Amino acid sequence: MSKSSDGGIDLTRPKIIGAPVQRLEDPRLLTGHGKFTDDVKLRGTLHVALRRSDHAHARIGTIDTAEAEEMPGVVGVFTAELLDALTRPVFATSKMKDYHATPVRALAGGKVRFAGEPVVAVVAQSRYLAEDALAGIEIDYTPLEPVVDPEEAAADNAVKLHDHLPGNVLVARRFGVGDVEQAMGDAPIKVGGRFRFHRKTPTALEARSYLADYDQGTRALTLYASTQVPGIVRDALVEVLDMPGSKLRVIAGDVGGGFGGKASLNPEEILVCALSRHLGRPVKWTADRVEDLISTSQSFDEIVDAELAVDQDGTFLALKADILGDVGAFSIYPWTAALEPMQVAGFLPGPYRVPNFSANVRAVATNKAPMGPYRGVGRPISAFVLERLVDMAAKKLAMDPKEIRLRNFVKEEEFPHRTGSGIVWDRSGFTECLERAADAINYPALRKRQAEARADGRWLGIGIASYAELTGIGSRLSAAPGMPINTGTESATISVDSSGAVTAHFGIASHGQGLETTLAQIVAEEMGVRLEDVEIVQGDTSAVAHSTGTYASRSAVIAGGAGTLTARTLRGKIIEAASHLLDVDMADIDFADSLISARGTNKTMSLRELARAVYSQMGSLPGDIRAKVDLQASEFYDPHFGTTTSATHLAAVEIDPETYEVSIEKFVVVEDCGRVINPMIVDGQVHGGVAQGIGAALFEEVVHDVTGQNISATLVDYVIPSAAEVPSMEVHHLDVEAPSTLGGYRGMGEGGTIGAPAAIANALNDALSHLGVEIMELPMTPERLFQVISAAQDGEAESS
Amino acid sequence: MKPPPFAYVTAESIEHAVAELARSDGEGKLVAGGQSLMPMLNFRLLEPSVLIDIGKIPDLTGISETGDGLSIGALTRHVDLETSHLIAQRFPVLTEAVKHVAHIAIRNRGTFGGSLCHADPAAELPMMAVLLDARICVSGQGGNRQIPADKFFLGALTTDLEEEEIVTRIDLPYLPESTGWGFEEISRRSGDFALAAAAATVSLVDGKISEVRLAVTGVDDLPLRIRAAEDALRGSELDDAVFSSASQIVRDAVNPNSDVHASADYRRHLIGVLVGRVLRSARSRARGGA
Repeated sequence: MSKSSDGGIDLTRPKIIGAPVQRLEDPRLLTGHGKFTDDVKLRGTLHVALRRSDHAHARIGTIDTAEAEEMPGVVGVFTAELLDALTRPVFATSKMKDYHATPVRALAGGKVRFAGEPVVAVVAQSRYLAEDALAGIEIDYTPLEPVVDPEEAAADNAVKLHDHLPGNVLVARRFGVGDVEQAMGDAPIKVGGRFRFHRKTPTALEARSYLADYDQGTRALTLYASTQVPGIVRDALVEVLDMPGSKLRVIAGDVGGGFGGKASLNPEEILVCALSRHLGRPVKWTADRVEDLISTSQSFDEIVDAELAVDQDGTFLALKADILGDVGAFSIYPWTAALEPMQVAGFLPGPYRVPNFSANVRAVATNKAPMGPYRGVGRPISAFVLERLVDMAAKKLAMDPKEIRLRNFVKEEEFPHRTGSGIVWDRSGFTECLERAADAINYPALRKRQAEARADGRWLGIGIASYAELTGIGSRLSAAPGMPINTGTESATISVDSSGAVTAHFGIASHGQGLETTLAQIVAEEMGVRLEDVEIVQGDTSAVAHSTGTYASRSAVIAGGAGTLTARTLRGKIIEAASHLLDVDMADIDFADSLISARGTNKTMSLRELARAVYSQMGSLPGDIRAKVDLQASEFYDPHFGTTTSATHLAAVEIDPETYEVSIEKFVVVEDCGRVINPMIVDGQVHGGVAQGIGAALFEEVVHDVTGQNISATLVDYVIPSAAEVPSMEVHHLDVEAPSTLGGYRGMGEGGTIGAPAAIANALNDALSHLGVEIMELPMTPERLFQVISAAQDGEAESS
Repeated sequence: MKPPPFAYVTAESIEHAVAELARSDGEGKLVAGGQSLMPMLNFRLLEPSVLIDIGKIPDLTGISETGDGLSIGALTRHVDLETSHLIAQRFPVLTEAVKHVAHIAIRNRGTFGGSLCHADPAAELPMMAVLLDARICVSGQGGNRQIPADKFFLGALTTDLEEEEIVTRIDLPYLPESTGWGFEEISRRSGDFALAAAAATVSLVDGKISEVRLAVTGVDDLPLRIRAAEDALRGSELDDAVFSSASQIVRDAVNPNSDVHASADYRRHLIGVLVGRVLRSARSRARGGA
């Protein structure tokens, strides 16, 4: 038998890390036994219905609630007047220069700033009765000019959303490296234009839901919340409600998806807590689908004017961009309005050498729902813009899109590489992912087939998108630069209880990623116990002293690292205790599959027997040893910088030349996420991410009319791809070099959404290349294709 | 998203349902499959005083042969149309169309009569009723009457039904021998309402079109038969030039809306393409093709 040096792990037994074990949470979720926030039933619960603003921008005059208060089952009708007295406003602050924060409040007071903003809360015996009473509220609004167009909103003379601020631009920043103007001026070839990515909303299967339960006896408040960030919400509520953290607990039970839409503090979370404390009763609000579509944070709303300069052999010389992010009415807590547009700029240079780079970024407030994080945050836009530019340059040079990428990727010997925006890439498989994707799809044969299809009048297109992202970001960088929260560390606490069961406490909050499984895999393998013996506690602020949650592709890396360190410490304690109990050297203790044995003897003991000896048999261990081998451990992990994850997406699409319907024929993803903890879960994450990327590329768009009304507020009008629209896809994993993260993990939960829109945009463009059009806008809906193609064909007709 | 308060009555017979409707003074709504009505209630777009559930009335379901056609009970669910051998044999175009009606869960609940009464201007079944010259049988306080499908639909969500009338059956007269058919629909996603849809039947005598029917939906306030295009096609050789001119006639005849999914121009463009496709399919089938 082979032995490793650290504590005698048997290398011949099957590994748990890397195995496609079935998700531990699935039996309960698939049999309907999951417990989501709305499933939590507490005696005496009151229900909230919200009267939301039907104006995008208006001053609130008198609010007459008298009729509503008299309606059956109504307990109270509340406005900002009371809520402002019950709570303290919270601001998403930042140390960034030229940044302006806006308050987060439970209910709008003074002014409404988007259609859908909560104004009045009815609390009643049931949600039905609460909704009935909404009709009994009269609000006297004085309409203000709606600020809908982001460019107009950014103008000096624009109508202001926030009277206390100098204008609507909430943050402005410029950064870059080298002399872009000089390089652009000298460059032989330049490509560019205006790119538009339209607003998208996360649309989790479970809409947001909050239930606050104030206990008048203990003066403690528990918030059950469908959130990705129970820790951030708890810490904010400490300030908002002026209560100690010891009296505030936030529990995110089963959460049915988040995608960033549950990663911020929301007004309704503050509202139910304040009302529960005020009324002394449990208070619940669950968003219906319309509320979800009009009020949950939205994203990806950017205008990017960008230009890329290349020399005759295709080498990139310079890249510049002007990025205008439409961040909606408020700077979201805690991420701020800077989050999304700044990430667009930060990741714009992509996985390439770009010697001269400059980006000018502005985040501008408009009368729309606030922009928040959404799977991919900014990077889907970066990848769309850059990868389109790369293809435009290749076309101008008559170079194959694959070749121009290979020529410009950061090469193996050039890592670590600092990009023009300041991001440092550690070694990742930029080149390898593209080469492997091209092999997987048989790129030369596909190009040949494309040529044949073209000859038959078919519009077949091939699109490549390569990107890199930073994941598992540690405290030296932070996923939230300048913000008063720490997202870069995690701690874990693992204990073996008196029955020998292992419970591991984490600060993350799984909301569909299968973290209960992947973290259990890490703990089980690192400790030496069976997977089924590990219980993961997460999504509960009482689990650890400090936590934030799950977002930014951080949990497998950072919580995985904390779990690894803690499991190793606890394993050491178990082996030390066993050495005394079995009376053999620590070096001769084997501990695997929850069984402890003394090598070369027939002495064994189960973890349960060991726990009983440690906890209950007082004579079994000397006192000084007993104090050392307490069966719990807590360790802290900080990856300091984080690590690079990269991928190439390759899409083949066909456009019907008459109806302009798009079908995705093939979709290949090759990604380097380092060591894979569970390939089945990683594949699932890629599939889901690509599906959302397809939505962003072809279907999903939050549409506002000129008055600022959201006219895509149902799932009939906000079109998310269904199973029929998502092709089967091929996913390959590379692990080119172990990163510096503990365990060798790289984050990968968002990547699918980053690459797919760009790959599909390039494929559409390729399919239409004979028309000489450029795809500059996403989603490329059938209507937009019709417009683009009709314009090109009209132009052709005119010129012929 | 909860419905407003309403009373609920289970109708035991057609007469009972008609009486309850009359008693509600225009404020009552019939509910059968509920697939359109329940969302409208939850959005509070409707606030009926009473829901009269006709789901338990006997003899309103089933598909039977009448000698010159099929008679289909108003409560027949979409799934039963979809899987009916009689319909597949006699009206394969209807079998094909039903597959495009929403999703399986909705087809399991929604009813033929309900879809016609709802009269969504982008729905498939109202177009099929118009295409197939359906006679819609209704009962009311004044007795029974039959309404030809092209007189039944008056506009978006509007029919010729009186307030206390109830659709009981839909009669479909058989098509001539050697009739070919075509059905095409474009929607944003599988199962969505049509951006545009077209259906045609073509009957041949001596290689020439003896009878032709062409219907479209999604491109006007109501499903339309395009008689001018039918006139142009009738008696013609089955060549693509005639089909093109039929497409143009249809594009000129319809009056589509613009919404978040598609502009009127795109819908108009699409319907022309689809008319060409359904006519080619119908020609091929009429000539004995698959």
